[in-house]
Amino acid sequence: MALIELRDVTKAYRRDAIEIPVLERVTLSVSEGDFLGLMGPSGSGKSTLLNLLAGIDRPSSGSIVIGGTDISGLSEGALAGWRARHIGFIFQLYNLIPVLTAFENVELPLLLTSLSKKQRRDHVMTALDIVGLGDRTKHYPRQLSGGQEQRVAIARAIVTDPTLLLADEPTGDLDAKSAAEVLVLLRRLNSEFKKTIIMVTHDPHAAERATHVVHLEKGTLAESMEVT
Amino acid sequence: MKLLGLIVKSARRSKRRTALTVMSVAVAVFLFASLRAILDGFNAAAAASSSTRIITIRSTSLIFAMPSSHTQTIRSIPGVRDITWANWFGGIYKDPNNFFAQFAIDAESYLRLYPEIELSASEREAFFADRTGAIVGDGLAQRFGFKVGDRIVLQVGIPTYGSQDFTFTIRGIYRAGAAAVDNQSMFFHWKYADERSIEAGQIGWFVVEIANPDAAAQVSAAIDQKFSNTPYETKTDTEQQFASSFVSMFGNLNVLLGSIGLAIVLTTLFVAGNTMAMSVRERTTEIAVMRTLGFPARAIFLFIAGEGLLISIVGGLLGAGLAWAIVDGQNFGVSGGFVPPFGVTGRNVLIGVALSALIGVLAGAVPATMASRLKIVDALRRVA
Repeated sequence: MALIELRDVTKAYRRDAIEIPVLERVTLSVSEGDFLGLMGPSGSGKSTLLNLLAGIDRPSSGSIVIGGTDISGLSEGALAGWRARHIGFIFQLYNLIPVLTAFENVELPLLLTSLSKKQRRDHVMTALDIVGLGDRTKHYPRQLSGGQEQRVAIARAIVTDPTLLLADEPTGDLDAKSAAEVLVLLRRLNSEFKKTIIMVTHDPHAAERATHVVHLEKGTLAESMEVT
Repeated sequence: MKLLGLIVKSARRSKRRTALTVMSVAVAVFLFASLRAILDGFNAAAAASSSTRIITIRSTSLIFAMPSSHTQTIRSIPGVRDITWANWFGGIYKDPNNFFAQFAIDAESYLRLYPEIELSASEREAFFADRTGAIVGDGLAQRFGFKVGDRIVLQVGIPTYGSQDFTFTIRGIYRAGAAAVDNQSMFFHWKYADERSIEAGQIGWFVVEIANPDAAAQVSAAIDQKFSNTPYETKTDTEQQFASSFVSMFGNLNVLLGSIGLAIVLTTLFVAGNTMAMSVRERTTEIAVMRTLGFPARAIFLFIAGEGLLISIVGGLLGAGLAWAIVDGQNFGVSGGFVPPFGVTGRNVLIGVALSALIGVLAGAVPATMASRLKIVDALRRVA
């Protein structure tokens, strides 16, 4: 059974009186445990699609069902709770909170749970160990390299054991070596920890790490394919 | 509690800006608490006034004197039970900056009418027995280190009393038993001043004790009636009215100081609000990230508003604490002898801290609302 079902999803932005279509009738399904690469040129709508899947934006029409929940019908408050439980998001520019240490950044999503301090600590250390930064707990983002920052961001994304990991150009701001490390890590999360991952990327080498690749062109799937 | 840790860390993000905001709130609360203390001092004097004492002064002004012959005339008026009098001396102790109030009084009757001036029996006796003796308030004694037996010299400040210095021996240190009397004044014998006065037998004001407080208006009118159409017409008021009119010599203090306080608070509110708004603008992406992680709008509101509240309350505690430590009766006790020493009370401290909390809530409310309503995708500026 598919974990993600998108049916006729359309998204348009309004700038003054002009409506700008970004996605048009996108239909896609993704199975649990997939590692999907989402490729396409700038402006093709891939990040918009990722935002819709993350529940941080809403489709103009169509439905998005993830894990049996139609998130397009959820209220803002319910959507926030749903995101906290089901989504791990990895940004291109890491977006760590600069005043928090690596440990505290990873702990941040756990503050929304009812876990005890000790339980939170165990979860954070597990996540940091997985990304290979168990010895960097007290480092602030400014004291880490770009690759290390992105690995802390990945730890933050997986610390709640989410249903779905979404990565928006996760290697876009990294040198080749760090990018390769991050891609190996994502692949490991998919193969070893069975995480479902959707990764937006421009980079064909990065896309090679995915198990399936979908191309977007001008807001539509260039090749409408169902991944199973 | 989890959010509090985040708030504290966030407030320390820009230490200089946070420190400056804390200081601006601290200064506002310090000034507010100090102004409240001044008002409270004046109001306390009026509130603590005796209902059985009425004050008679020259109708033209308090600064003009009356003949001592008025004493017998007033005493003869029905309803008058007792009478005493006093003069403002205006002497200088070493330096004009050492200002404190000195009153020439008819000692026995004055202390009889003012039981709030608390002296031991031996000190009272010693004061009565010494023509050049004086008593000083415990606050004044502490201020200048006066002790019983000390001799102090006052230069003449008002030409009426000639040009020769006056020497006094301190015979007692009194405590102010109520707010109608301050503890920063000095009292000495009226006769000592009068015998060296250029114009003898002059009295600054009379304090009249009446038998029935309800008859204060009638007795006052009767006194003033007695002296109407004479060169020395009088104006008689209750002690409370007298204290209030003394305050009114400074203008409408409630409005004046209240307006200053309001201006300070509003200015600080805008400063703190602007700081919080700047802080939120700088953190737009971070807030969007927190929303993406699942923080609900309510938590973001509390996070931002809490930071404003925390900064403001720290400033409030600092300002109120400084006011409490600095604005006390010793440092700001120069009140002319008609009102008790100014001092920041616990109530003023509480009001100051509450005010800082209000500033924090108001300054943080708008930025917090903006942050909680932030559209995540717009904030992330990621439209591919």
